[in-house]
Amino acid sequence: MKPPLRWLVPLLVIWAAAPFLMPHAINDLLVFATLYYLSGLGVGLALGQAGIVNLGQALFFGIGAYASAYFSTRGVPMPVGLLVGALLAAGLAALLGYGILRLHGFFLGLATLALGIMGHVLFFEWDGITGGSIGVGGIPQVSLFGFTLDSSERHYYFAGAVAMLATWVAHNLMRGRTGLMMRAARDSGEAALSLGISLHRLRTAVFALCALLGSVAGSLFAHYVTFVSVDSFGLMKSLTFLLVPVLGGMRCWPGMVAGALFVTFVPYLLSRLGDIHQVLFGLAMIAVVVVLPNGLSSIAVMLREAWRARRSVAAPAVARPGPQAPSHRPEVRHGR
Amino acid sequence: MAVEPLLQVRALAHRFGAVQVLNDVNLEVPAAGVVGLIGPNGSGKTTLFNLISGYIEPVGGRIDFAGHPMAGLPVERRSRAGLMRTFQTPKVFESMSVLENVMLGCAQPARGGMLAEMFALPAAGRALAGMRERAERLCQRFELGELRDAPTRSLPAGQRRVLEICRAVAAGPRLLMLDEPSSGLNDAEVRALERWIHALRDDGIAVLLVSHDMGLMAAVDRVHLLCNGELLASGPMAQLKDDPRVREVYLGA
Repeated sequence: MKPPLRWLVPLLVIWAAAPFLMPHAINDLLVFATLYYLSGLGVGLALGQAGIVNLGQALFFGIGAYASAYFSTRGVPMPVGLLVGALLAAGLAALLGYGILRLHGFFLGLATLALGIMGHVLFFEWDGITGGSIGVGGIPQVSLFGFTLDSSERHYYFAGAVAMLATWVAHNLMRGRTGLMMRAARDSGEAALSLGISLHRLRTAVFALCALLGSVAGSLFAHYVTFVSVDSFGLMKSLTFLLVPVLGGMRCWPGMVAGALFVTFVPYLLSRLGDIHQVLFGLAMIAVVVVLPNGLSSIAVMLREAWRARRSVAAPAVARPGPQAPSHRPEVRHGR
Repeated sequence: MAVEPLLQVRALAHRFGAVQVLNDVNLEVPAAGVVGLIGPNGSGKTTLFNLISGYIEPVGGRIDFAGHPMAGLPVERRSRAGLMRTFQTPKVFESMSVLENVMLGCAQPARGGMLAEMFALPAAGRALAGMRERAERLCQRFELGELRDAPTRSLPAGQRRVLEICRAVAAGPRLLMLDEPSSGLNDAEVRALERWIHALRDDGIAVLLVSHDMGLMAAVDRVHLLCNGELLASGPMAQLKDDPRVREVYLGA
C-alpha cells in the first residue's frame, strides 16, 4: 500500500467501527467532535495557511444553524437551508474580510472577535428569525433519499461523510496552486506580491472557505440537536473552534481531528471530578500548549522520527523503503 | 512623433522624515531597452526601485508604465501589468524546491480555478501541469535544470539570485528591474547574466538594472548616475566614464 493509505485505511476502519464499540452517551459526543472538527478545520485553514486568527467563527456557525432552523421549520428540504446558510456565511465573510483582512496578527484577532460579539448580539435581537432568547425548536430530522437521520449513530456517519468531503476539498486546495501560493505568502509576502500574487484576495478566499465550513457545521448542529438558541453561538464556541487547530496542529487535518476530540472529550472526562473541571480543563490546555507548541499532531511526528531512528540503528545497511513524506503534501509540514 | 517609453519617471521625489532621499528624478526606459543605474551606497537606488514597484508611494512626481499612471496602484497590480523586480537580498521561497519557486512565477494567471482545484477537476490538474512545464523550461534556460528539485534553503547566494531572476521571468515581465544582480555571482555567472540580459532584450523585455559591475554596465544602452538622490549624469557608459563628475563621486579616481 502507498504510505498515505497505510494509515488512512486503519483510521477509516476505526471511524466506521466507533459507534459499535462506544456506549450511547459517547456516541453523542462523537457527533459533536465531528462538528467541531468541521468548523475547526475552517479556522485551522485560515490560521495555519493564511495567518488569520479567527475569534468569531461562532458567527458563521450560527448563520448556518439559524438558516437551517428557519427553512426546515417551514417545510423546506434540508439541503436548501444548508446551502443558503453556507452561501450567506461565505458571502458575508468575503465582504467583511475584504475590509478587515488588511489587518494582521492581534489586530485581526480583535476584529474577528468583534464580529463574533456582534453576531451574538444580532442573533439575540433579531428574534423574528432567531427566536431571540427563546430560540427555535422543533427542527425536523433530516431525511435524504428515504434515509432518515433519527439516531446519533446516523448523524455521526452523515456528519463524518461531510467532514471527509471537506477534508478532501481542503487537501486538494493545499496541494495545488492555491496551497503553493499560500506557502509563498508565508515564506516571503513581498516576493509573492512582486510576482503579482494578491495576498489580500487569497486571504479573503480562505476566510470565506473558513466561514462556509463553519456554517455547514452549524446546519448539521441544528438538525442534530433540533433546537437552537443564542447560547450556542457565543464567544466560548468561537474559542472552542479556535482551540481545535491550536491544540491539535494547524497545518494537518489529523492534528485537527485530535484537537476536536480533545475539546469534546477532555471536558467530559474531567466533569466527573466535580465543579473544579473547568479549572482542570484550563490546566490541561496550558499543558498541551507548553509541552507541544505545534499541537497534538507533533506527537505523531515525534513517534515517526523515533521509529525511523530506531530502524536506522537496527538496520543501518538497509535502504529505507519508498520515499516518506512526499513533497506534494505541504499541509503536513510544521513551522515555516 | 516619438514612441512613448515603457517606463517614464518624472520629477520623482521622496523623503524619509526630514531626509530628502530622492529629488527631481527623471528617467525613461524604452520598450526592450536596457538601462543601468549606478551610484554610491545610500544614493537612493533601492528607494527608486521601491517607488517604481509600488512598495512605497512617492511624496512627489509621477510614474507611468505602459502609458498608465501607477500612482496608488498596489504592488501586485503593477506586477500583473508586467512591472517585475528582484531584490537586493534575494527573496526566494525558502521552504520550497527550486522548481516550485519558478512555478510560482507562473501562478498568477488565476481564472477562477479555485473551484476546479477544490474538487480535483481535470482543469486544475492541467493548469498545474502547464505551470510545471513552463517552469521546467525556464529552469533549463537559466541553467538551474539540475537543481530543480533541490531545496531552496540550501542554495548558495549566486544561485539564489539566478533563481529570483528566473522566477521573475516566469511571471512574464515587460520590464524587469534587477537590484544588484551581479553581487555574489562568480565571473562565469556574471557572463551568463550578461547573456541572459541580452536574450531578454531580444524577447522584447526591457531591463532596468542597478549594479556596481562595470563590465555589466558596458553592455547597457544608457546609464544614469544617481548621487544623493539626484541624477547627476546620463549617457552611454563609455561616455559617462570620462565625465569628471562621475569620476569624482563614483569611480573615485
